[in-house]
Amino acid sequence: MYQQAAWVITLLLSAFVIFIFLFVLMKSGRRVEYSKVQAKGYFLRSIWLVILLVGFSTASYYTLKDLPFERAEGKGAPLDVYVEAVQFGFEVSEEKLQVGDYVAFHVTSSDVNHGFGLYDENMNIVAQTQAMPEYTNTVYYQFEKPGTYTILCLEYCGVAHHVMSKEITVTK
Amino acid sequence: MGNILTVWIDTSRKRSVVFPLSLTGVVLLLMMFFGVLMLLEQGNVIELGAGMFYKLLTIHGTGMIGIAALAGTAVMWYFLNQYLDLKLGIFIMNIVFFLIGVTMVLIGIFSYDFAGGWTFLYPLPAISGGMWGQTAAALYLGGMLIIGTGFLLLYLEFSRAIIKEYGSFAKSLGWPQILGIVKGYGPAPAIAAGTMVCIVNITALITGAAILAMSLINLYIPSFTIDPLLAKNMIYAFGHIFANSIIYMGVIAVYELLPRYTGRPWKGSKALLIAWNMSTLFTVIIYPHHLLMDFVMPKWMLILGQVLSYANGLPVLVVTAYGALLLVYRSGIKWDIASSFLYLSMFGWVIGVVPAIVDATIVINHVMHNTKWVPGHFHMYMGLGACAMIIGFMFYLTKVEGGRQDNRLDRLSLWVFIVAFLGLTGSFLFSGKVSAPRRWAVHFQEWVPADIIGALFGTLVTLAFLAFVIRFINYASNIGRMKSNVDPRIEKHG
Repeated sequence: MYQQAAWVITLLLSAFVIFIFLFVLMKSGRRVEYSKVQAKGYFLRSIWLVILLVGFSTASYYTLKDLPFERAEGKGAPLDVYVEAVQFGFEVSEEKLQVGDYVAFHVTSSDVNHGFGLYDENMNIVAQTQAMPEYTNTVYYQFEKPGTYTILCLEYCGVAHHVMSKEITVTK
Repeated sequence: MGNILTVWIDTSRKRSVVFPLSLTGVVLLLMMFFGVLMLLEQGNVIELGAGMFYKLLTIHGTGMIGIAALAGTAVMWYFLNQYLDLKLGIFIMNIVFFLIGVTMVLIGIFSYDFAGGWTFLYPLPAISGGMWGQTAAALYLGGMLIIGTGFLLLYLEFSRAIIKEYGSFAKSLGWPQILGIVKGYGPAPAIAAGTMVCIVNITALITGAAILAMSLINLYIPSFTIDPLLAKNMIYAFGHIFANSIIYMGVIAVYELLPRYTGRPWKGSKALLIAWNMSTLFTVIIYPHHLLMDFVMPKWMLILGQVLSYANGLPVLVVTAYGALLLVYRSGIKWDIASSFLYLSMFGWVIGVVPAIVDATIVINHVMHNTKWVPGHFHMYMGLGACAMIIGFMFYLTKVEGGRQDNRLDRLSLWVFIVAFLGLTGSFLFSGKVSAPRRWAVHFQEWVPADIIGALFGTLVTLAFLAFVIRFINYASNIGRMKSNVDPRIEKHG
């Protein structure tokens, strides 16, 4: 969902940026007094600033309510799954899960920095965090669909970085 | 006496940018070629092997940022010479340090197989998983330390000259005007920008030097360990700030040249000075947006990483790019290749802000971090923004100082560059949308088509850039030697 939202928002706003720059380019030919341009331009700039401030504040308000590192209230106690990354693989304490399981993945590393990227069957990322030596990051995810999920390394960790993977099976 | 586009500085100062800019052209071209090779590898078109891919990844990231920063200092140096009494020897010394450091980095990567990425995340340099050894890592880290030291000395020299001329950084950032103590306009935009770059980059380079030195000690004395989270913070503080500063140096060319092209002034207004103060603060403190997936970070730092990343868009969206649009709107500007690139750079900066801000949102970063969305946004910002500023400056120099006339090839390569760069970055963003990881030597089949499309656009970008480099080098030897552009008031001192 967030991938699609990011893509659509980016395309729409990029189209707006392209339009503005092309518009000014097309209107760059005939010279008028700069003071006239400034008077109108500074007025529009105030409106533009207000639009941006409102947009950023609204986006912050809504998106900061859904932080992936905070346990969701009302989902009960999570199932703890411990993940340890090492060049070049993952050790996972529980490889078979069930639909509906609300899981707390406790992720660490025993050597260098790695990434914990959880992919669904369509190879879309559904959750991630960093796997760091000496620290444990916890990320929460509720499995809503059965299937084979794959953990991939998303932080560059050496020559076999791209072969680091581990499968988790989620059944009904 | 030249024309209205001429910048009146000493001819020796003009000539001093020819070598670093020529070097920039050649190195950027090579790095672009390496970038295309990596895309072809991901697209299963060629077979380099994972080891070579990660070596190219390391040199591509390091080389692009390093050489663009060198070009950025050339832009800053060129224009600030109008306002400040700068020492040429320090400028040249930075180039010498750069060449020594680059040589070490290249030997470390290609002779000793270092492939730890530009991020050299502790403790990867010392724990390579079997690919490289101590000497490789020491050459890379040591080379980076020498390059950073050269830059640091140059920014200290800029700082010395600014403080000597304006009294303090507070004054060169326009605090007296912002606080209403002094009426009227403040320092020129180039000075405000230069001050900001000095403050943020001195901070970044000292931080970078500290973590490089600690990593070097750890290589030889493994019992000397570093907190991995602290190391990561220091590396991203250094890398984020230093990479971002390139566009803040490059924009000095826009501030200085666009008014000359449009015949309209760009002054140190209160809004502009406030914007540069905001940029100074935000650039230093928003680096935690690189650590949004490190949940052990203090929660307030992650939230600030998102909120202040949004806020950091305001100075460019409301002041700098907006100001450029006002300057160009109904100005009767005479478009040439240089002014087109400068205008393009404002477009590239703004359009690059869009996916950057989207990615700085924690819930989106949660599914986009370390996918190709990330190189998608920063290639847009660096390629169509920062590089466009540098290329615009190079075209300006060869036209005004080198006698070059725009021709059909220049116009064609300009448009190929724009369209192909949008295609390249679009392919990256699409790959990110479908969760293709960045920094992967081998991609799964479903991610391959976007890699191949990216490689095609990347090839076109490289060819267009090759045309720019050839044109620059053809005329570069004339720079600083045209009698019509010599200011007798300056030359009597020079």
